[in-house]
Amino acid sequence: MTVPPSPSPRAALRTWTQSGAEALANLLAQRQRSALALLGILIGAASIVAMLTIGHMAQRETLKLFAHMGVDMLQIHANPVGPFPATMDRAAIEALPRTDPDVAAALPLAIDRAKVAIGPASQDVGIIAVAPNLSDVVRLSPASGRLFASVDEDNLVAVLGADTAAALSSPGAPAGPGSRIRIRGYVFTVIGVLAPVAFTAMDPTDYNTAVLVPLGDAARIMATPEPSTALLRLRPGADAKAVGERLVPRLANPTSAPQAVSAQELIQSLNAQKAIHSRLLTAIGAISLLVGGIGVMNVMMMGVMERRREIGLRAALGATPRDIQAMFLIEAGILALLGGLVGLAFGLLAAFVAARASGWTFSLSAYVLPLGPGLAAVVGMVFGFYPALTASRLDPIVALRDE
Amino acid sequence: MFKLRRRAQDGRVLEVLDLTKTYGPPDQATPVLRGVSFKVEAGAFCAVVGPSGSGKSTLMNIIGLLDRPTSGVLRLDGRDVAFGDRGQEARFRGATIGFVFQSFNLLPRLSAWENVALPLVYAGASVRERERSALAMLDRVGLSHRAQARPAELSGGQRQRVALARALIRQPRLILADEPTGSLDSVTAGEVMALLRDLNQRLGVTVLMVTHDKDLAARCERRIEVLDGRVVAEAGAAA
Repeated sequence: MTVPPSPSPRAALRTWTQSGAEALANLLAQRQRSALALLGILIGAASIVAMLTIGHMAQRETLKLFAHMGVDMLQIHANPVGPFPATMDRAAIEALPRTDPDVAAALPLAIDRAKVAIGPASQDVGIIAVAPNLSDVVRLSPASGRLFASVDEDNLVAVLGADTAAALSSPGAPAGPGSRIRIRGYVFTVIGVLAPVAFTAMDPTDYNTAVLVPLGDAARIMATPEPSTALLRLRPGADAKAVGERLVPRLANPTSAPQAVSAQELIQSLNAQKAIHSRLLTAIGAISLLVGGIGVMNVMMMGVMERRREIGLRAALGATPRDIQAMFLIEAGILALLGGLVGLAFGLLAAFVAARASGWTFSLSAYVLPLGPGLAAVVGMVFGFYPALTASRLDPIVALRDE
Repeated sequence: MFKLRRRAQDGRVLEVLDLTKTYGPPDQATPVLRGVSFKVEAGAFCAVVGPSGSGKSTLMNIIGLLDRPTSGVLRLDGRDVAFGDRGQEARFRGATIGFVFQSFNLLPRLSAWENVALPLVYAGASVRERERSALAMLDRVGLSHRAQARPAELSGGQRQRVALARALIRQPRLILADEPTGSLDSVTAGEVMALLRDLNQRLGVTVLMVTHDKDLAARCERRIEVLDGRVVAEAGAAA
């Protein structure tokens, strides 16, 4: 038999557009049932959207955290092996950039606590004695004044951390460049105040609540003026772990067993922690989508059974099995897409709340917006396939006779 | 006699040759149609009568391409129907045959014009084309003022008139009507029959109508009587 030609793509599109419009009307007519089926899809899409957004924000925060010191940092800390304070040799540390190909800069630090006084105001703060090349290694910037220069080596000058400066200030007498502070009987001239910096695990102490002095002055005010920590900036491409293993024996001495921690390792362990959370959320999302998909299948199966007569009628009026199948697939896809859109809203809300709770700035990656609802729609189509196939295989005679 | 390869005369819209249909497994097959042959001229108004169980529903289903015969030839609109692909059958059915059911079979969610336009959805017509044709067809059956009404808001006679408009919207060669007045009171039934006759005469569309109503059958120009899977009598203008 000669048959009317297959409909053109445009005609097929019109048929499917109409199917989509009817699907929406149909879903609205069965609001309650549709809403229940959507719950799983909604939770699934929401947790995946939340996971991706939170992950994205966490990564930004991690990078922000490492911004002032960089990811190419290696910290070597002297752990005591006996009753004596653990120290390392300053000259040995400062020789590293010249003797090791992977070390770009090395900064010895000695750390102590002391009472710092300015006039009548005094504060118990951390004292960080550093070599003058501080700014080569740690990205600190002065909010006012300047940082150390090589001429400051034993000049009795100091740089205040942001919080220390605030604590030592009294009304009408702000602590800043030019102020004179007393530490253990010595008077230091303040040459600068640091801008606030985030405290990270790589910092030997919190710069904000400390007073920085040149390492050359350490002998006057510290019981143990030798450095206990070395911060190294590595050259690009250096393997931080290997460098640490190589340098630790060179800095070891009878008082200390140095230990190396690299920014790379820290980031890796942070990422590993994040990966656990991500996996958990992904699992929740996947299971919810699965359950939601089964819900969609269930609702679609019920719809097919209830609408047997309609299916038979449409077949009699010229709908091909493919048209019938497309109609139910589109309906399942739209159902799931709606769930995905609502899930997207909930997921973003959850991520926003999480960002607020962690003090992060809320940001979202653009690919999340289509991904959440898109994934939901795909799940709907996959789970809608079997009901749609069932519908398309119904015998129109039986379906039409059905009361 | 037929020449199978030749395209049938334009005068015949439907030819059935030695059609058989058996149900069930081969060893205990139940024959429903035992070799049915007849022809219907274009523009005819033809009644199909017979007691229930006589096989007339099966015959109508096969003619409507909703069921497949066990053997025999079905020729519609001058073409041999090659049963096989359901998609092709559906497209051919949509373009050639209009259905009218006893229980109307309108979709309750759709308005009158949307119901009328439903076959055009599967012809791939645009929304504008669908609405224009549907309104024109509703006008033809005298219901243009009820175009936006849902089936539930229409009387039985109005519903069947909407169904008639739907059956005619793709200008089919053949209307298959299964007891179209079976659910209507006698006055409304008369009106619907009059409309069907009028459309038959004015549009020249061939009508094949199953009915149990003796008077109705008697008034048709042709009558095919089915009994026990065979055509036992043909009355009216014989082919």
